[in-house]
Amino acid sequence: MAMKVTVDIDLCQGHSVCLGECPEVFDVVDSDEGYPQVVVLLEHPGEELREKVEKAAQYCPNHVITIEED
Amino acid sequence: MSEAAATGLKLPPKVSGEKPGVGHMEAFSVNFARFLMDCEAECGELAEYNMAGQQTVLMSGPEAQEAFLKGLDKKLSRAAAYQATVPVFGEGVIFDAPPERMKTQLKIQVDALRYQNMKNYAAIIAKEVDDWVAQWGDEGEMDFLDEFIQLTLHTACHCLLGADFRYKMTDEFKRLYHDLEKGLQAIAFVDPYLQQPVFEARDKARRRLQELISGIIAERRANADKAYGDALETFMSGTYADGSHLTDNEITGLVIATMFAGHHTSSGTAAWTAVELARQPEYTAEVLAELQALFGDGQELTFESLREVPKLEAFIEEVLRLHPPLVLLMRRVIEDIDYKGTLIEAGKTVAISTYGSHRNPVYFPDPERFDAHREKADTKEKMWAYIPFGGGPHKCAGNAFALMQLKSIFAALLPKYEFFLVDAPDSYVDDLSAMVLKPSSPCRLRYRRRR
Repeated sequence: MAMKVTVDIDLCQGHSVCLGECPEVFDVVDSDEGYPQVVVLLEHPGEELREKVEKAAQYCPNHVITIEED
Repeated sequence: MSEAAATGLKLPPKVSGEKPGVGHMEAFSVNFARFLMDCEAECGELAEYNMAGQQTVLMSGPEAQEAFLKGLDKKLSRAAAYQATVPVFGEGVIFDAPPERMKTQLKIQVDALRYQNMKNYAAIIAKEVDDWVAQWGDEGEMDFLDEFIQLTLHTACHCLLGADFRYKMTDEFKRLYHDLEKGLQAIAFVDPYLQQPVFEARDKARRRLQELISGIIAERRANADKAYGDALETFMSGTYADGSHLTDNEITGLVIATMFAGHHTSSGTAAWTAVELARQPEYTAEVLAELQALFGDGQELTFESLREVPKLEAFIEEVLRLHPPLVLLMRRVIEDIDYKGTLIEAGKTVAISTYGSHRNPVYFPDPERFDAHREKADTKEKMWAYIPFGGGPHKCAGNAFALMQLKSIFAALLPKYEFFLVDAPDSYVDDLSAMVLKPSSPCRLRYRRRR
Protein backbone atom coordinates (compact mmCIF):
# COMPACT_ATOMS: atom_id res chain seq x y z
CA MET A 1 0.00 0.00 0.00
CA ALA A 2 1.37 3.34 -1.00
CA MET A 3 0.06 6.79 -0.28
CA LYS A 4 -1.29 8.83 -3.15
CA VAL A 5 -1.71 12.57 -2.59
CA THR A 6 -4.27 14.52 -4.62
CA VAL A 7 -5.55 18.08 -4.36
CA ASP A 8 -8.78 19.79 -5.42
CA ILE A 9 -7.16 22.84 -6.92
CA ASP A 10 -10.50 24.67 -7.30
CA LEU A 11 -10.72 24.97 -3.52
CA CYS A 12 -7.14 26.17 -2.90
CA GLN A 13 -6.55 29.77 -1.80
CA GLY A 14 -2.85 29.45 -1.13
CA HIS A 15 -2.96 29.61 2.66
CA SER A 16 0.32 27.62 2.61
CA VAL A 17 -0.34 25.60 5.74
CA CYS A 18 0.64 22.42 3.80
CA LEU A 19 3.93 24.00 2.83
CA GLY A 20 4.59 24.76 6.48
CA GLU A 21 3.71 21.21 7.57
CA CYS A 22 5.40 19.25 4.83
CA PRO A 23 7.63 21.14 2.37
CA GLU A 24 8.93 17.81 1.01
CA VAL A 25 5.56 17.13 -0.63
CA PHE A 26 3.90 20.53 -1.09
CA ASP A 27 4.87 23.83 -2.61
CA VAL A 28 2.82 26.97 -3.20
CA VAL A 29 3.47 28.86 -6.43
CA ASP A 30 1.70 31.45 -8.53
CA SER A 31 -0.80 29.74 -10.81
CA ASP A 32 -1.58 30.83 -14.38
CA GLU A 33 -4.33 33.00 -12.91
CA GLY A 34 -1.76 34.83 -10.77
CA TYR A 35 -3.00 33.35 -7.48
CA PRO A 36 -0.65 31.36 -5.27
CA GLN A 37 -1.83 27.76 -5.18
CA VAL A 38 -0.60 24.40 -4.04
CA VAL A 39 1.42 22.04 -6.23
CA VAL A 40 2.16 18.46 -5.22
CA LEU A 41 5.88 17.76 -5.58
CA LEU A 42 5.66 14.08 -4.67
CA GLU A 43 2.47 12.30 -5.62
CA HIS A 44 3.62 9.08 -3.93
CA PRO A 45 5.59 10.15 -0.86
CA GLY A 46 7.37 7.52 1.23
CA GLU A 47 5.94 6.15 4.49
CA GLU A 48 8.35 8.26 6.51
CA LEU A 49 6.41 11.34 5.40
CA ARG A 50 2.97 9.95 6.21
CA GLU A 51 2.53 11.79 9.48
CA LYS A 52 3.53 15.15 8.01
CA VAL A 53 1.29 14.69 4.96
CA GLU A 54 -1.64 13.76 7.18
CA LYS A 55 -1.11 16.91 9.24
CA ALA A 56 -1.02 19.00 6.08
CA ALA A 57 -4.32 17.47 4.96
CA GLN A 58 -5.88 17.87 8.38
CA TYR A 59 -4.89 21.49 8.98
CA CYS A 60 -5.57 22.77 5.44
CA PRO A 61 -8.21 25.45 6.07
CA ASN A 62 -10.04 24.55 2.86
CA HIS A 63 -9.72 20.73 2.97
CA VAL A 64 -8.04 20.68 -0.41
CA ILE A 65 -5.82 17.63 0.17
CA THR A 66 -6.91 14.00 -0.08
CA ILE A 67 -4.76 10.99 0.80
CA GLU A 68 -5.64 7.77 -0.95
CA GLU A 69 -4.08 4.32 -0.73
CA ASP A 70 -3.23 2.58 -3.96
CA MET B 1 -43.23 34.75 -25.72
CA SER B 2 -41.03 34.91 -22.67
CA GLU B 3 -37.43 33.85 -22.80
CA ALA B 4 -38.10 30.97 -20.44
CA ALA B 5 -40.87 29.59 -22.63
CA ALA B 6 -38.65 29.97 -25.71
CA THR B 7 -35.92 27.86 -24.15
CA GLY B 8 -38.33 25.37 -22.59
CA LEU B 9 -37.12 26.31 -19.10
CA LYS B 10 -39.24 27.04 -16.06
CA LEU B 11 -38.94 30.21 -13.99
CA PRO B 12 -38.22 30.09 -10.24
CA PRO B 13 -41.35 30.00 -8.03
CA LYS B 14 -42.18 33.35 -6.44
CA VAL B 15 -42.58 34.00 -2.75
CA SER B 16 -46.08 35.22 -1.78
CA GLY B 17 -46.89 38.46 -0.01
CA GLU B 18 -45.21 40.88 -2.41
CA LYS B 19 -46.27 44.52 -1.98
CA PRO B 20 -46.26 47.20 -4.69
CA GLY B 21 -43.04 49.21 -4.82
CA VAL B 22 -41.24 47.64 -1.90
CA GLY B 23 -41.74 43.96 -2.71
CA HIS B 24 -40.75 41.88 0.32
CA MET B 25 -38.62 44.59 1.92
CA GLU B 26 -40.81 44.85 5.04
CA ALA B 27 -40.84 41.14 5.90
CA PHE B 28 -37.13 41.03 5.13
CA SER B 29 -36.37 43.95 7.47
CA VAL B 30 -38.20 42.44 10.47
CA ASN B 31 -35.91 39.38 10.63
CA PHE B 32 -34.20 38.45 7.40
CA ALA B 33 -32.89 35.09 8.60
CA ARG B 34 -36.45 34.00 9.39
CA PHE B 35 -37.79 35.52 6.19
CA LEU B 36 -35.31 33.48 4.14
CA MET B 37 -36.29 30.28 5.98
CA ASP B 38 -39.93 31.01 5.22
CA CYS B 39 -39.05 31.53 1.54
CA GLU B 40 -37.46 28.09 1.39
CA ALA B 41 -40.34 26.49 3.30
CA GLU B 42 -42.83 27.95 0.81
CA CYS B 43 -40.99 27.46 -2.50
CA GLY B 44 -38.22 24.91 -1.99
CA GLU B 45 -34.77 24.85 -3.57
CA LEU B 46 -35.30 28.07 -5.55
CA ALA B 47 -37.42 30.92 -4.18
CA GLU B 48 -37.70 34.31 -5.84
CA TYR B 49 -38.38 37.39 -3.75
CA ASN B 50 -38.33 41.10 -4.50
CA MET B 51 -36.09 43.58 -2.68
CA ALA B 52 -37.54 46.96 -3.65
CA GLY B 53 -37.31 46.06 -7.32
CA GLN B 54 -34.25 43.80 -7.25
CA GLN B 55 -35.47 40.28 -8.04
CA THR B 56 -33.53 37.87 -5.84
CA VAL B 57 -33.48 34.08 -6.08
CA LEU B 58 -32.68 32.28 -2.84
CA MET B 59 -30.85 29.02 -3.53
CA SER B 60 -31.28 26.43 -0.74
CA GLY B 61 -29.83 23.01 -0.03
CA PRO B 62 -26.31 21.64 -0.55
CA GLU B 63 -26.57 21.17 -4.32
CA ALA B 64 -27.83 24.70 -5.03
CA GLN B 65 -25.41 26.19 -2.52
CA GLU B 66 -22.52 24.37 -4.16
CA ALA B 67 -23.54 25.79 -7.55
CA PHE B 68 -23.70 29.28 -6.00
CA LEU B 69 -20.40 29.05 -4.15
CA LYS B 70 -18.48 27.53 -7.04
CA GLY B 71 -19.67 30.29 -9.40
CA LEU B 72 -16.85 32.43 -10.74
CA ASP B 73 -17.00 36.22 -10.80
CA LYS B 74 -17.53 36.48 -14.53
CA LYS B 75 -20.80 34.54 -14.22
CA LEU B 76 -21.91 35.26 -10.65
CA SER B 77 -20.51 38.64 -9.74
CA ARG B 78 -19.67 39.56 -6.18
CA ALA B 79 -18.73 43.05 -7.32
CA ALA B 80 -22.17 43.86 -8.72
CA ALA B 81 -23.90 42.50 -5.59
CA TYR B 82 -21.71 44.36 -3.11
CA GLN B 83 -21.61 47.90 -4.57
CA ALA B 84 -22.62 49.25 -1.16
CA THR B 85 -19.04 48.63 -0.07
CA VAL B 86 -17.56 50.95 -2.72
CA PRO B 87 -17.80 54.26 -0.83
CA VAL B 88 -16.56 52.49 2.32
CA PHE B 89 -13.56 50.64 0.88
CA GLY B 90 -12.86 53.43 -1.62
CA GLU B 91 -13.00 54.07 -5.35
CA GLY B 92 -10.98 51.64 -7.40
CA VAL B 93 -10.75 49.20 -4.50
CA ILE B 94 -11.88 45.53 -4.68
CA PHE B 95 -15.49 45.55 -5.92
CA ASP B 96 -14.94 48.84 -7.74
CA ALA B 97 -11.69 47.79 -9.43
CA PRO B 98 -11.45 46.34 -12.95
CA PRO B 99 -11.50 42.50 -12.75
CA GLU B 100 -7.73 42.00 -13.10
CA ARG B 101 -6.88 44.61 -10.47
CA MET B 102 -9.54 43.28 -8.13
CA LYS B 103 -8.03 39.80 -8.42
CA THR B 104 -4.57 41.10 -7.55
CA GLN B 105 -5.88 43.13 -4.61
CA LEU B 106 -7.67 40.09 -3.21
CA LYS B 107 -4.56 37.97 -3.75
CA ILE B 108 -2.52 40.50 -1.76
CA GLN B 109 -5.16 40.45 0.95
CA VAL B 110 -4.91 36.63 1.14
CA ASP B 111 -1.10 36.93 1.19
CA ALA B 112 -1.42 38.86 4.45
CA LEU B 113 -3.29 35.91 5.95
CA ARG B 114 -0.85 33.21 4.93
CA TYR B 115 1.09 30.84 7.13
CA GLN B 116 4.14 33.09 7.51
CA ASN B 117 2.18 36.02 8.99
CA MET B 118 -0.16 33.82 11.01
CA LYS B 119 2.57 32.93 13.48
CA ASN B 120 3.05 36.61 14.31
CA TYR B 121 -0.69 37.12 14.58
CA ALA B 122 -1.01 34.22 17.03
CA ALA B 123 1.59 35.85 19.30
CA ILE B 124 -0.14 39.25 19.03
CA ILE B 125 -3.54 37.79 19.92
CA ALA B 126 -2.16 35.86 22.92
CA LYS B 127 -0.61 39.09 24.23
CA GLU B 128 -3.76 41.16 23.70
CA VAL B 129 -5.85 38.56 25.55
CA ASP B 130 -3.33 38.44 28.42
CA ASP B 131 -3.34 42.22 28.79
CA TRP B 132 -7.13 42.26 28.81
CA VAL B 133 -7.53 39.46 31.34
CA ALA B 134 -4.93 41.03 33.63
CA GLN B 135 -7.54 43.67 34.53
CA TRP B 136 -10.28 41.24 35.50
CA GLY B 137 -9.64 40.48 39.18
CA ASP B 138 -11.20 37.46 40.92
CA GLU B 139 -14.75 37.97 39.82
CA GLY B 140 -17.07 40.39 38.12
CA GLU B 141 -19.75 41.01 35.54
CA MET B 142 -19.34 42.45 32.06
CA ASP B 143 -21.15 42.85 28.78
CA PHE B 144 -19.13 40.40 26.74
CA LEU B 145 -20.29 41.66 23.37
CA ASP B 146 -18.92 45.13 24.19
CA GLU B 147 -15.75 43.56 25.56
CA PHE B 148 -15.17 41.41 22.50
CA ILE B 149 -15.85 44.30 20.13
CA GLN B 150 -13.07 46.16 21.92
CA LEU B 151 -10.69 43.18 22.08
CA THR B 152 -11.07 42.24 18.41
CA LEU B 153 -10.67 45.87 17.35
CA HIS B 154 -7.36 45.82 19.19
CA THR B 155 -6.22 42.51 17.69
CA ALA B 156 -7.36 43.54 14.20
CA CYS B 157 -5.53 46.88 14.35
CA HIS B 158 -2.45 45.27 15.87
CA CYS B 159 -2.24 42.55 13.20
CA LEU B 160 -3.14 44.89 10.34
CA LEU B 161 -1.39 48.13 11.15
CA GLY B 162 1.27 47.16 13.67
CA ALA B 163 2.05 47.70 17.36
CA ASP B 164 2.80 51.42 17.00
CA PHE B 165 -0.59 52.20 15.58
CA ARG B 166 -2.39 49.88 17.99
CA TYR B 167 -0.92 51.43 21.14
CA LYS B 168 -1.40 54.97 19.87
CA MET B 169 -4.95 54.26 18.72
CA THR B 170 -6.94 57.41 19.22
CA ASP B 171 -10.59 58.10 19.89
CA GLU B 172 -10.58 59.81 16.54
CA PHE B 173 -9.74 56.54 14.81
CA LYS B 174 -12.53 54.73 16.65
CA ARG B 175 -14.97 57.47 15.68
CA LEU B 176 -13.97 57.33 12.01
CA TYR B 177 -14.26 53.59 11.97
CA HIS B 178 -17.69 53.81 13.55
CA ASP B 179 -18.82 56.34 10.92
CA LEU B 180 -17.68 53.98 8.18
CA GLU B 181 -19.57 51.10 9.79
CA LYS B 182 -22.77 53.09 9.86
CA GLY B 183 -22.33 53.68 6.15
CA LEU B 184 -22.88 49.99 5.47
CA GLN B 185 -26.45 49.58 6.68
CA ALA B 186 -29.31 47.91 4.77
CA ILE B 187 -30.33 51.07 2.90
CA ALA B 188 -26.83 51.25 1.38
CA PHE B 189 -27.58 48.01 -0.46
CA VAL B 190 -30.45 49.78 -2.22
CA ASP B 191 -28.48 52.97 -3.01
CA PRO B 192 -25.22 53.89 -1.28
CA TYR B 193 -25.19 57.39 -2.81
CA LEU B 194 -28.42 58.82 -1.34
CA GLN B 195 -28.17 62.31 0.15
CA GLN B 196 -28.14 61.32 3.82
CA PRO B 197 -26.16 62.49 6.85
CA VAL B 198 -24.87 58.95 7.53
CA PHE B 199 -23.42 58.74 4.04
CA GLU B 200 -21.83 62.20 4.30
CA ALA B 201 -20.23 61.13 7.58
CA ARG B 202 -19.08 57.93 5.88
CA ASP B 203 -17.35 59.82 3.06
CA LYS B 204 -15.69 62.26 5.45
CA ALA B 205 -14.44 59.39 7.61
CA ARG B 206 -13.06 57.55 4.57
CA ARG B 207 -11.04 60.64 3.51
CA ARG B 208 -9.65 61.26 6.99
CA LEU B 209 -8.76 57.59 7.50
CA GLN B 210 -6.72 57.68 4.34
CA GLU B 211 -4.76 60.66 5.68
CA LEU B 212 -3.99 58.72 8.86
CA ILE B 213 -2.92 55.56 7.05
CA SER B 214 -0.94 57.52 4.46
CA GLY B 215 0.98 58.95 7.40
CA ILE B 216 2.00 55.48 8.55
CA ILE B 217 2.86 54.43 5.00
CA ALA B 218 5.09 57.47 4.51
CA GLU B 219 6.84 56.81 7.81
CA ARG B 220 7.47 53.19 6.85
CA ARG B 221 8.74 54.10 3.39
CA ALA B 222 11.25 56.40 5.10
CA ASN B 223 12.42 53.47 7.28
CA ALA B 224 12.44 50.83 4.56
CA ASP B 225 14.83 48.44 6.33
CA LYS B 226 12.53 47.76 9.28
CA ALA B 227 10.41 44.57 9.36
CA TYR B 228 6.91 44.60 10.84
CA GLY B 229 5.32 41.20 10.14
CA ASP B 230 1.87 42.77 9.87
CA ALA B 231 -0.66 43.02 7.07
CA LEU B 232 0.26 46.60 6.15
CA GLU B 233 3.75 45.41 5.30
CA THR B 234 2.28 42.77 2.97
CA PHE B 235 -0.09 45.30 1.38
CA MET B 236 2.78 47.76 0.80
CA SER B 237 5.04 45.18 -0.80
CA GLY B 238 2.42 43.62 -3.10
CA THR B 239 2.58 44.39 -6.82
CA TYR B 240 0.37 44.29 -9.89
CA ALA B 241 1.38 42.28 -12.98
CA ASP B 242 3.22 45.35 -14.38
CA GLY B 243 5.32 45.64 -11.21
CA SER B 244 3.59 48.73 -9.83
CA HIS B 245 2.64 48.94 -6.17
CA LEU B 246 -0.75 49.62 -4.64
CA THR B 247 -1.62 53.28 -4.14
CA ASP B 248 -2.26 54.75 -0.68
CA ASN B 249 -5.95 54.76 -1.57
CA GLU B 250 -5.87 51.06 -2.42
CA ILE B 251 -3.87 50.14 0.68
CA THR B 252 -6.29 52.11 2.87
CA GLY B 253 -9.14 50.30 1.12
CA LEU B 254 -7.62 46.89 1.79
CA VAL B 255 -7.11 47.79 5.46
CA ILE B 256 -10.76 48.83 5.76
CA ALA B 257 -12.01 45.80 3.81
CA THR B 258 -10.02 43.44 6.01
CA MET B 259 -11.27 45.14 9.20
CA PHE B 260 -14.84 44.93 7.97
CA ALA B 261 -14.54 41.28 7.01
CA GLY B 262 -12.92 40.27 10.27
CA HIS B 263 -13.96 42.52 13.11
CA HIS B 264 -17.66 42.12 13.90
CA THR B 265 -17.76 38.61 12.52
CA SER B 266 -15.14 37.73 15.15
CA SER B 267 -16.56 39.75 18.04
CA GLY B 268 -20.07 38.37 17.49
CA THR B 269 -18.83 34.78 17.31
CA ALA B 270 -16.60 35.24 20.37
CA ALA B 271 -19.52 36.68 22.35
CA TRP B 272 -21.76 33.79 21.30
CA THR B 273 -19.04 31.31 22.25
CA ALA B 274 -18.80 32.86 25.72
CA VAL B 275 -22.59 32.71 26.13
CA GLU B 276 -22.77 29.09 25.01
CA LEU B 277 -19.88 28.13 27.31
CA ALA B 278 -21.92 29.53 30.20
CA ARG B 279 -25.15 27.94 28.93
CA GLN B 280 -23.86 24.44 28.04
CA PRO B 281 -22.01 23.25 31.18
CA GLU B 282 -21.72 19.59 30.05
CA TYR B 283 -19.86 20.38 26.86
CA THR B 284 -17.91 23.11 28.58
CA ALA B 285 -16.55 20.61 31.12
CA GLU B 286 -15.12 18.54 28.27
CA VAL B 287 -13.52 21.56 26.64
CA LEU B 288 -12.02 22.62 29.95
CA ALA B 289 -10.58 19.14 30.59
CA GLU B 290 -9.00 19.17 27.14
CA LEU B 291 -7.47 22.62 27.66
CA GLN B 292 -6.12 21.64 31.07
CA ALA B 293 -4.53 18.53 29.58
CA LEU B 294 -3.01 20.43 26.65
CA PHE B 295 -1.96 23.68 28.27
CA GLY B 296 -2.01 22.86 31.99
CA ASP B 297 1.76 22.91 32.28
CA GLY B 298 1.87 26.54 31.22
CA GLN B 299 2.53 25.82 27.56
CA GLU B 300 2.29 28.96 25.47
CA LEU B 301 -0.58 29.60 23.09
CA THR B 302 1.08 29.68 19.68
CA PHE B 303 0.08 28.98 16.12
CA GLU B 304 1.50 25.45 16.50
CA SER B 305 0.11 24.64 19.92
CA LEU B 306 -3.37 25.86 18.89
CA ARG B 307 -3.52 23.82 15.70
CA GLU B 308 -5.18 20.83 17.29
CA VAL B 309 -7.73 21.42 20.06
CA PRO B 310 -10.55 19.10 18.94
CA LYS B 311 -13.13 19.60 21.69
CA LEU B 312 -12.80 23.38 21.59
CA GLU B 313 -12.92 23.29 17.79
CA ALA B 314 -16.09 21.17 17.82
CA PHE B 315 -17.65 23.58 20.32
CA ILE B 316 -16.81 26.62 18.16
CA GLU B 317 -18.07 24.83 15.03
CA GLU B 318 -21.41 24.30 16.74
CA VAL B 319 -21.51 27.99 17.74
CA LEU B 320 -20.87 28.89 14.09
CA ARG B 321 -23.61 26.51 12.95
CA LEU B 322 -26.30 28.06 15.16
CA HIS B 323 -25.02 31.63 14.94
CA PRO B 324 -23.26 32.11 11.57
CA PRO B 325 -22.02 35.73 11.55
CA LEU B 326 -22.82 36.28 7.88
CA VAL B 327 -26.35 35.06 7.25
CA LEU B 328 -26.87 36.15 3.68
CA LEU B 329 -24.39 35.87 0.79
CA MET B 330 -25.22 37.43 -2.56
CA ARG B 331 -24.08 37.44 -6.19
CA ARG B 332 -25.41 39.22 -9.29
CA VAL B 333 -26.21 36.95 -12.26
CA ILE B 334 -24.16 38.10 -15.26
CA GLU B 335 -25.09 35.32 -17.74
CA ASP B 336 -28.40 33.42 -17.73
CA ILE B 337 -28.20 30.26 -15.62
CA ASP B 338 -29.99 27.00 -16.38
CA TYR B 339 -30.25 25.43 -12.94
CA LYS B 340 -31.67 21.93 -13.38
CA GLY B 341 -34.26 23.15 -15.91
CA THR B 342 -35.04 26.47 -14.27
CA LEU B 343 -33.89 29.72 -15.83
CA ILE B 344 -32.32 32.34 -13.56
CA GLU B 345 -31.99 35.38 -15.76
CA ALA B 346 -29.06 37.75 -16.00
CA GLY B 347 -29.62 40.87 -13.89
CA LYS B 348 -31.26 39.01 -11.03
CA THR B 349 -29.50 38.53 -7.71
CA VAL B 350 -28.93 35.06 -6.30
CA ALA B 351 -28.53 34.51 -2.59
CA ILE B 352 -27.84 31.76 -0.07
CA SER B 353 -28.61 31.71 3.64
CA THR B 354 -26.06 30.12 5.95
CA TYR B 355 -28.53 30.44 8.83
CA GLY B 356 -31.23 28.47 7.02
CA SER B 357 -28.82 25.89 5.68
CA HIS B 358 -27.45 25.22 9.16
CA ARG B 359 -30.98 24.51 10.38
CA ASN B 360 -31.81 21.92 7.74
CA PRO B 361 -32.96 18.89 9.79
CA VAL B 362 -31.78 16.47 7.09
CA TYR B 363 -28.18 17.34 7.87
CA PHE B 364 -28.56 18.68 11.41
CA PRO B 365 -31.22 16.68 13.30
CA ASP B 366 -33.04 18.65 15.99
CA PRO B 367 -31.39 21.76 14.53
CA GLU B 368 -32.18 24.31 17.25
CA ARG B 369 -30.45 22.19 19.90
CA PHE B 370 -26.84 23.04 20.74
CA ASP B 371 -24.92 19.77 20.33
CA ALA B 372 -21.14 19.91 20.24
CA HIS B 373 -21.06 16.17 19.44
CA ARG B 374 -22.60 16.42 15.99
CA GLU B 375 -20.88 14.37 13.32
CA LYS B 376 -18.25 16.18 11.31
CA ALA B 377 -19.11 17.19 7.76
CA ASP B 378 -17.80 13.96 6.26
CA THR B 379 -19.89 13.78 3.10
CA LYS B 380 -19.83 16.15 0.15
CA GLU B 381 -23.46 17.08 0.72
CA LYS B 382 -22.89 17.91 4.35
CA MET B 383 -19.83 19.96 3.42
CA TRP B 384 -22.00 22.22 1.26
CA ALA B 385 -24.68 22.34 3.98
CA TYR B 386 -22.26 23.59 6.65
CA ILE B 387 -20.98 26.87 5.27
CA PRO B 388 -20.14 29.38 8.03
CA PHE B 389 -17.25 30.68 5.89
CA GLY B 390 -18.93 30.10 2.53
CA GLY B 391 -16.92 27.72 0.35
CA GLY B 392 -15.39 27.19 -3.05
CA PRO B 393 -12.95 29.55 -4.72
CA HIS B 394 -14.21 32.64 -2.86
CA LYS B 395 -14.38 31.07 0.58
CA CYS B 396 -13.61 33.50 3.41
CA ALA B 397 -9.84 33.97 3.28
CA GLY B 398 -9.80 34.81 6.97
CA ASN B 399 -11.25 31.51 8.14
CA ALA B 400 -7.96 30.16 9.49
CA PHE B 401 -7.23 33.48 11.22
CA ALA B 402 -10.70 33.61 12.73
CA LEU B 403 -10.57 30.08 14.14
CA MET B 404 -7.07 30.59 15.48
CA GLN B 405 -8.16 33.79 17.22
CA LEU B 406 -11.23 32.17 18.77
CA LYS B 407 -9.20 29.19 19.99
CA SER B 408 -6.55 31.49 21.42
CA ILE B 409 -9.11 33.57 23.32
CA PHE B 410 -10.92 30.65 24.92
CA ALA B 411 -7.83 28.53 25.55
CA ALA B 412 -6.64 31.50 27.63
CA LEU B 413 -9.95 32.34 29.35
CA LEU B 414 -11.59 29.04 30.18
CA PRO B 415 -8.88 27.46 32.37
CA LYS B 416 -8.64 30.70 34.37
CA TYR B 417 -12.29 31.62 34.80
CA GLU B 418 -15.72 30.10 35.10
CA PHE B 419 -18.60 31.84 33.30
CA PHE B 420 -22.25 32.20 34.33
CA LEU B 421 -25.32 33.65 32.66
CA VAL B 422 -26.68 36.78 34.35
CA ASP B 423 -30.06 36.77 32.61
CA ALA B 424 -32.53 33.98 31.80
CA PRO B 425 -30.99 31.40 29.42
CA ASP B 426 -33.63 32.00 26.73
CA SER B 427 -33.10 35.77 26.79
CA TYR B 428 -29.80 35.45 24.88
CA VAL B 429 -30.98 35.42 21.24
CA ASP B 430 -29.65 36.28 17.79
CA ASP B 431 -29.70 39.99 16.95
CA LEU B 432 -30.07 40.54 13.21
CA SER B 433 -30.56 44.29 13.21
CA ALA B 434 -27.14 44.82 11.63
CA MET B 435 -25.63 42.98 8.68
CA VAL B 436 -23.54 40.79 10.98
CA LEU B 437 -25.28 38.46 13.42
CA LYS B 438 -24.50 38.92 17.11
CA PRO B 439 -26.02 38.09 20.50
CA SER B 440 -28.75 40.46 21.66
CA SER B 441 -27.95 43.25 24.12
CA PRO B 442 -27.32 43.17 26.98
CA CYS B 443 -24.93 40.25 26.69
CA ARG B 444 -24.05 40.02 30.37
CA LEU B 445 -22.01 37.24 31.90
CA ARG B 446 -20.54 36.81 35.36
CA TYR B 447 -17.06 35.37 35.74
CA ARG B 448 -15.22 33.88 38.70
CA ARG B 449 -11.59 32.83 38.96
CA ARG B 450 -11.11 29.06 39.18
CA ARG B 451 -9.29 27.71 42.23
